[in-house]
Amino acid sequence: MTFLLSGIQSFSKLWKCSPCFGLSPGHSCCFFLSDYCGIRNQQRWFSLKSMSPQSTKAGNASIAKARYLRKGDEGSNKQVSSDSPHLFAAGAAKKRSQMNPQSNDQVLSPLKNISIQLPTKPLNSKEWDKLKEDFKGKANFENWISSQMAHCHSPIDVAKSLLAWVAAKNNGIVGYNLLVRYLYLCVFHKQTSEVIDVYEIMRARYKRLESGGYSLLIRGLMHSDRWREALMLLEDIKKVMTPSIKNYNDCIQGALLHQDVNTAWNLYQELLGHDLIPMLETLKAFFDFGKDIKDDHYSSKLLDILLYLRNNQLYPGESFAHSIKTWFESGQCSCCGKTMESIHLSPEEYEFLKRKIIRDVIDGGDQYKKTTPQELKRFENFVKSCPPFDIVIDGLNVAKMFPKARESQVLLDVVSQLAKQNLQLLILGRKHMLTQRFRWRKDEMEKVQKQASCFFADDISEDDPFLLYATLNSGNHCKFITKDLMRDHKACLPDIKTQRLFFKWQQGHQLAIINRFPGSKITFQHILTYDTVVQTTGDSWHIPYDEDLVERYSYEVPTKWLCLHRKT
Amino acid sequence: MTIFLKMSVSVTFLRPFTRFLVPFTLHRKRNLYSTVLQRCMSSKIPAVSYPDKESISPPEQLELDGWKTTMKSSVQEEGVPPVSSNKDEDTQAATRELIEMWRLLGKEVPENITEEQLKAIMECASKSSKKKYLKFLYIKEKLKKAKQIKKERKAAAKEEAKQAMLLETTEEDKQQNFPFLRLWDRRINTAMNWKGAQAMQFGQPLVFDMDFDNYMKPKELQNAVSQLLESEGWNRRNVDPFHIYFCNLKIDGAYQRELVKRYGEKWDKLLLTATEKSHVDLFPKDNIIYLTADSPNVMTTFKHDRIYVIGSFVDKNMQPGISLAKAKRLKLATECLPLDKYLQWDIGTKNLTLDQMMRILLCLKNTGSWEEALKFVPKRKHTGYLEISQHSQAFVNRLKKAKSFNSFPKGSYVHTEKVA
Repeated sequence: MTFLLSGIQSFSKLWKCSPCFGLSPGHSCCFFLSDYCGIRNQQRWFSLKSMSPQSTKAGNASIAKARYLRKGDEGSNKQVSSDSPHLFAAGAAKKRSQMNPQSNDQVLSPLKNISIQLPTKPLNSKEWDKLKEDFKGKANFENWISSQMAHCHSPIDVAKSLLAWVAAKNNGIVGYNLLVRYLYLCVFHKQTSEVIDVYEIMRARYKRLESGGYSLLIRGLMHSDRWREALMLLEDIKKVMTPSIKNYNDCIQGALLHQDVNTAWNLYQELLGHDLIPMLETLKAFFDFGKDIKDDHYSSKLLDILLYLRNNQLYPGESFAHSIKTWFESGQCSCCGKTMESIHLSPEEYEFLKRKIIRDVIDGGDQYKKTTPQELKRFENFVKSCPPFDIVIDGLNVAKMFPKARESQVLLDVVSQLAKQNLQLLILGRKHMLTQRFRWRKDEMEKVQKQASCFFADDISEDDPFLLYATLNSGNHCKFITKDLMRDHKACLPDIKTQRLFFKWQQGHQLAIINRFPGSKITFQHILTYDTVVQTTGDSWHIPYDEDLVERYSYEVPTKWLCLHRKT
Repeated sequence: MTIFLKMSVSVTFLRPFTRFLVPFTLHRKRNLYSTVLQRCMSSKIPAVSYPDKESISPPEQLELDGWKTTMKSSVQEEGVPPVSSNKDEDTQAATRELIEMWRLLGKEVPENITEEQLKAIMECASKSSKKKYLKFLYIKEKLKKAKQIKKERKAAAKEEAKQAMLLETTEEDKQQNFPFLRLWDRRINTAMNWKGAQAMQFGQPLVFDMDFDNYMKPKELQNAVSQLLESEGWNRRNVDPFHIYFCNLKIDGAYQRELVKRYGEKWDKLLLTATEKSHVDLFPKDNIIYLTADSPNVMTTFKHDRIYVIGSFVDKNMQPGISLAKAKRLKLATECLPLDKYLQWDIGTKNLTLDQMMRILLCLKNTGSWEEALKFVPKRKHTGYLEISQHSQAFVNRLKKAKSFNSFPKGSYVHTEKVA
């Protein structure tokens, strides 16, 4: 198998979505590796490439080329604004927030000054007494000092001396709260024998524990020979509540550590049965363990995990991607020219999404919320009377993009530029755009209406739902222009699956204006033509993954891929 | 000091087992025994002298693990927990103990829990909702305790004062002349009832639209009812009360039940009109003005010949536009308070509580001054009053701000922003 990492680029001609596309010849990096030098080069493979376009101009020249350019525009391929990453690219939102001066990050308040120096070595009871006298807080001293110790990860001997002192004062009794904090320190410092001691004590003293204690014990016992007892503790948790994904993660990691594969898979199934989304570490553990296993059954289960990632639109992190890569046997790499899966929805999915948008986003159980039945009728009739559109424009959003320019002027610029290409345009707006005012000139609005179909909703109606409906109704070739991320409308959809479908459709159909100089030619951000999702063609896998240092928001997708290819 | 500590600790650890009385008595002996044993041990510890603090002596190492033996050998539940045939009961017991352990850990959970509360906790879908509910119970319990303590303190003070009075027999009881008997409260109530009756006959109607019960969770509905009670109280005390209507109040609906529960037998004697009918059936449509914060129209003056409708709706999970949609459906005029015009708005939603609305409207009705009326808007939500000349400037600035989303995507707030 081969693998190669690179940003997969996309480009396609405007308005024509070619159903297949290859990777551009301007491909950035591809290594030829053989079995024995794979290790040496791995670091390079996974070396972080910073996302800033300036620094990767050489490697990403193709990305710049892939930016959306119209046919007649290729000659004037000037510097595309390199400071605005793709709307849906990981890290874009982070960048935007940094560019926006209004958002000043709240400085986290520093930890409260610790009035007492935490002891670094065990103290005897006299010294503890003295420390307690010096303490001037309102809180209970033992409570406070133990939580501080847990917070600062004091050595366990110090904590133990505290417990000994408390026990000596209270007839050998130590409260549960101190015991749990001590247990936390033991688990943190991986002192398994101490964990087992505390476990014995807790079993002796208490019939049942609470979730925090159970979780710590599970985590601590998993590395010991008594790991099966941790599974019993998991059963205890289940009596009262659903265990957390961390609990399951610990149990699965423990089971794998002790070579009990069946238990691990059973726990994994159980976790999925609770409708929980497993931690990526859990999945990574299965892959890491799989390195040493030559078993078709196990392999097929791992491939199932990849399909699970696909179906839930999850993306592995960098180290997880690494684990996946090592699990696939390495072989010869060839520059992968595979076509990625298209971003377009299947006809059934498309119909389904259309129905849901009408039912949940526009109607939402009460048509009066976002519009009125009369207006909806008016709009439906209007859409029926027009031919299918090529582009639907959110008039207000586009017009207000450049605060220094007049609204109607900006709108006219965009419309005339698109109209020259013989595209069927629809402009959605509100009625107040038609009243002559300084920012909305009548003559300019009239020119706009000559070049495009227009629909003006009431001032108190929402215009976005109409935009979505008109675009979906025109068919798969139709795009819409707005910078709105449509998150509030996505949230109206009833379930995660539909929301993902919406997001996929949005990535494939939303155009955003990227140039910042009104008056010059308006350029759009290219549309992703491929779907960013774990995908396979049987003999190859393409897995998008998150880089460690890039913060990805929920409406963004990774830009880095792991490409695995079976050796023929 | 030490004694006190000892007590408190032993109490905390005995508490969980008070339910198991039978084994408990057995343990007590054993506990005593182990305590004695421990005392012997611990009494030895101080006997070891530490000549030097710096050098960590081996005895100290020994001492570090001493507590484990006592902890292991001390009280414990004998054998396995009683196996109950009923799984549900088992879960219940487990939940109870979980809460108990949380309490030992210092989490915010109540000390005493009733059966119903326990059932409610078990019905909570997620861990976080369990914790939320427990925290609610914890705070409730704390308040109750604090009240109890205050009550006792007051009673004690009263008792003291009484004793002092008895001692002070220096002043002889003089015959004093008073024009009135002390029947103030009763008199006030009667007077207010007269005024209420007058309002029922001639007062300006004020409608509470009760048609929101299916948008609210039980908690929100209770809050709404509390606010209604408060509003009704403010109205009753006013010089010139409104004639209150509760419209769309479903007979035996959740709203009605809660109101009857809170008002008790007074419900039938209230001087207001509760009806199943809608406000559009009772009044001419053109005279109705629906008050909602989402309205595009700003209220400029209080009109004495109009019927104002307030949606009695507490909306904690932000469902904007519901009351506006209702008004749109019935084709009613809508208005919102001119908050932006008069106040430098700072934080918080512009949805005010029902009692605040009531007080603002009463004030407008009696004085007609906005500055006076908007005193009832919570101070935390605004930074002060605007000069009216300032307002136009602020308005322009706000418009500018709303337009400048060149560097970040348009949020939904641009749409929902109220143009004041």
